[in-house]
Amino acid sequence: MGANISQLERDIGSEFPCNEHYFGLVNFGNTCYSNSVLQALYFCKPFRDKVLEYKAKNKRTKETLLTCLADLFHSIATQKKKVGSIAPKKFIGRLRKEKEEFDNYMQQDAHEFLNFLINHISEIILAERQQQQNNTGGASSNNVNKSKGAGENGSANTGQPEPTWVQEIFQGILTSETKCLNCENISSKDEDFFDLQVDIEQNTSITHCLRCFSNTETLCSDNKFKCDNCCSYQEAQKRMRVKKLPTILALHLKRFKYVEQYNRHIKVSHRVVFPLELRLFNTSDDAVNPDRLYDLVAVVIHCGSGPNRGHYISIVKSHGFWLLFDDDQVDKIDSSAIEDFYGLTSDTQKSSETGYILFYQSRESL
Amino acid sequence: MANIKTQNSRKKVQVSMVICESEERKHRSGVNALQFDPQLDRLYSAGRDSIIRVHEHERFIHGMEHHTDWVNDIVLCCGGRHLISASSDTTVKVWNAYKGFCMSTLRTHKDYVKALAYAKDKEQVASAGFDKSIYLWDINTLTALTASNNTVTTSSLIGSKESIYSLAMNPPGTIIVSGSTEKALRLWDPRSCVKQCKLKGHTETVKALVVSKDGTQCISGSSDGSIKVWNIGQQRCVQTILVHTDSVWALLATENFTHIISGGRDKKVVVTELKNVHCSILVCTEDAPILKMCFTNDQTAIWVSTSNSTVKCWKLPMERHFKAEIPMPTQPTSMIAGDAAIVKATVLNDKRHILTKDSCSVVALYDVLRASKIENLGPVNYQNEINARNSAKLMYVPNWFNMDLKTGMLTIHLGQDEVDCFSAWVSAKDAGISDHPEPDHKVNYGKLLLQALFEHWRGVQTDQESKIYFTVPKHIPLILSEIGGRTLYRVLVGDTGGETENALLNETVPNWVISNIEDNCTSKFTKVQFYLKPHASVPSNLLKQDRLKKADRLVANDFIQCRKVAEHVLDKLLGEGTATSPGGGGDGDSQTQNNSGYTVDQIQLTCSDQSVDHSMDLRTVKHFMWKYSSDLVLFYKIISK
Repeated sequence: MGANISQLERDIGSEFPCNEHYFGLVNFGNTCYSNSVLQALYFCKPFRDKVLEYKAKNKRTKETLLTCLADLFHSIATQKKKVGSIAPKKFIGRLRKEKEEFDNYMQQDAHEFLNFLINHISEIILAERQQQQNNTGGASSNNVNKSKGAGENGSANTGQPEPTWVQEIFQGILTSETKCLNCENISSKDEDFFDLQVDIEQNTSITHCLRCFSNTETLCSDNKFKCDNCCSYQEAQKRMRVKKLPTILALHLKRFKYVEQYNRHIKVSHRVVFPLELRLFNTSDDAVNPDRLYDLVAVVIHCGSGPNRGHYISIVKSHGFWLLFDDDQVDKIDSSAIEDFYGLTSDTQKSSETGYILFYQSRESL
Repeated sequence: MANIKTQNSRKKVQVSMVICESEERKHRSGVNALQFDPQLDRLYSAGRDSIIRVHEHERFIHGMEHHTDWVNDIVLCCGGRHLISASSDTTVKVWNAYKGFCMSTLRTHKDYVKALAYAKDKEQVASAGFDKSIYLWDINTLTALTASNNTVTTSSLIGSKESIYSLAMNPPGTIIVSGSTEKALRLWDPRSCVKQCKLKGHTETVKALVVSKDGTQCISGSSDGSIKVWNIGQQRCVQTILVHTDSVWALLATENFTHIISGGRDKKVVVTELKNVHCSILVCTEDAPILKMCFTNDQTAIWVSTSNSTVKCWKLPMERHFKAEIPMPTQPTSMIAGDAAIVKATVLNDKRHILTKDSCSVVALYDVLRASKIENLGPVNYQNEINARNSAKLMYVPNWFNMDLKTGMLTIHLGQDEVDCFSAWVSAKDAGISDHPEPDHKVNYGKLLLQALFEHWRGVQTDQESKIYFTVPKHIPLILSEIGGRTLYRVLVGDTGGETENALLNETVPNWVISNIEDNCTSKFTKVQFYLKPHASVPSNLLKQDRLKKADRLVANDFIQCRKVAEHVLDKLLGEGTATSPGGGGDGDSQTQNNSGYTVDQIQLTCSDQSVDHSMDLRTVKHFMWKYSSDLVLFYKIISK
């Protein structure tokens, strides 16, 4: 291991950024799904900063998955050495307690883990905020009664709680617009998302797949739309578009398709090009920030032939160069090597190393 | 009615009724189609309330009722003798226009039939709709159909990939054009059924079409807001007319194809000169999107229908108007007033009355069991009225019917779930049956309504159990249809005793109806499971030892009142430890003291920390106080007198 570490330092050489640490994560038996996602998240700078800030602010609270994550990030960030490996033992232990599905030594889906982690952290923050309010609530109840006018103004916000920092980083808004083809009224509904789950096609690009994501779907035949204006079932056109673009856009490529014939999920290794720079074109007309330019900062890669077998690694961009994290191994790679993770042009080969979750960061926040 | 076939399909059959007036003289909702008969000077109009109406000048002559969903298009043919109609009930119907009865029903389409086209010279009609198919019908064949000879041959025009919204044919029947969500126009030769070409140019659904008599020109109106003139020989668009600020939904060309009249979602009707498309003039601005237009007898004016129910007649511009010498009139020359459509309906908590609000904001109260409107409340606040009526008495009755408002009238569906249909048991007293020998006897709403609907078909039953307590007006249409599918049979309640009707009903009435209205005991009471636990304040010496450890899990009919539960507490759960007094006050009279010395009124039941009134039934407690799907938990305690 020692030789490898020095190899990484040698590869980076004099450019090695100060205050940056590249530490691999030890695998506790099929925990690469977690390691790969944690590395990607560590190199999503806004997320790392907020986790470390949380660590600094919250002393001696009861152990949660978030405190374990904060401890892990903190211990990486405060290592004396620049490179090495670390065992996320406490985090994995906590994870297995929090969620039954992860309480075993089987390979898990990295996207399911990411989704769980982000939602769970958001819940922890909300619960802690609630508790804080309850603690201070008794003392300030008098003030509330006195300033009733102000309270009424404030009550408009209570329906929609102030977003947590996790939401501020990852959450965007999708809007689904449904147009009744009879009266042509458009009704729209907004929903929050932490990542976009994108269907993929062979030999395409992520831009193409995102366009398909927002293609118009016609509701017809047995699936007509109940139009409130027509008071009846009518044909309608529906499409999903992005209304609010998040700071970090996580794209989940749907590479595991259920095939009835085999009665199991099959990996789709289609070649899908993901650019280093991305702009979204499937934004709604009333989008808040449609022109956001995104840079690729991290990719979780699935290696192997199926969802329950194989291996997860991640590549991240740090200070202008790219690193590959394979559990406890860290290597510098050339940016041209990213192409290797687009996928396979022919469907015959079974095993592949393909981009699975892409993390794009808004340039304004870099 | 000629070709109703016995359908041995496996789809479940539901029973529906439309709550309407004995004569629906006015349109209730949008009017989708208009036809004018110049010989009799009659206007035919048809729309979303499913009824085709005939007017002579502004006077209502009669209504033609047989469709069970929106009528989307009509065509008057054979010199005014016959009318063909296309509906969202997926059928095409052939009518005797003079007498107003339905001669036959064509069930070839598999989805809403949206548009018709007519080749006058050949007496040929084409129908098209959401099943992407176009069928050609020979009217002379259709009108010769009888009950025994009811096979129709039709040619179909294939090639459409999406739902068809508009259709046009020229009078000699040499060309047919369809418009669809594909955005392109498709052309066929109806004589050979051969596909001619596809005309691309619109960017949204093509909703209106006209073809010139010689079949060389075609004009299309689209949801992209444009009108396009096409040269069919050259297969290209020769003009694009932009006179609307929104979708174009209706087109009408003048006799010699010199002007095009267009109506749109922007509520405007515009006349444009085809030779000089920059020369256009506004005919009128309506109060709702324009759906259809047709010429009056002398072709100097047009009848205009909208998504509101009133049909108005507007003067067309003449030479002097085009020259701007005189302004266009701002008022219609005449109109056929429509009625309001019900746009909102809420079933009240008693699950028997429905509060409705119509397009004029008038609120009304309906009684489902009597299939009638019972009170007109005027323009009151709808939500307040619902709240006031629901809070008057806290009562929960299970859902036993579904409803829809697609025709602007209340349509009640029974049997979308046949278990639900018979789930509403209420006491005769609560159902308002004053002459029942036992006021606490339980009656079933679903059964009562089905009995009333089929009263004339089955004949009056004499036994007590099947006595008819509610009657439904004879004019109420009764509809048997596949759930989520096609209509099998429509008949008026009063006509069900007729010989033909009787036979057809015997074939179509589903078994779940017959077995439940004829056999008395098949419908079972709904049970509710609940726990009874002593409140902490109940002295433990009053309780049997094991009551302290384990709560009593009980099962009862969901409509029993909490008084009965209190009686049970008094009789079975309390006082067993003090077996001093003789006998037991078992009959539950509130005045009777049991051996512990307490009365029923002293037993207080609570649910979710709220005290429960003894007159409330268990399902009401479960629905309004417990609010969970898990088993209900009731606590009991003793209060002082």
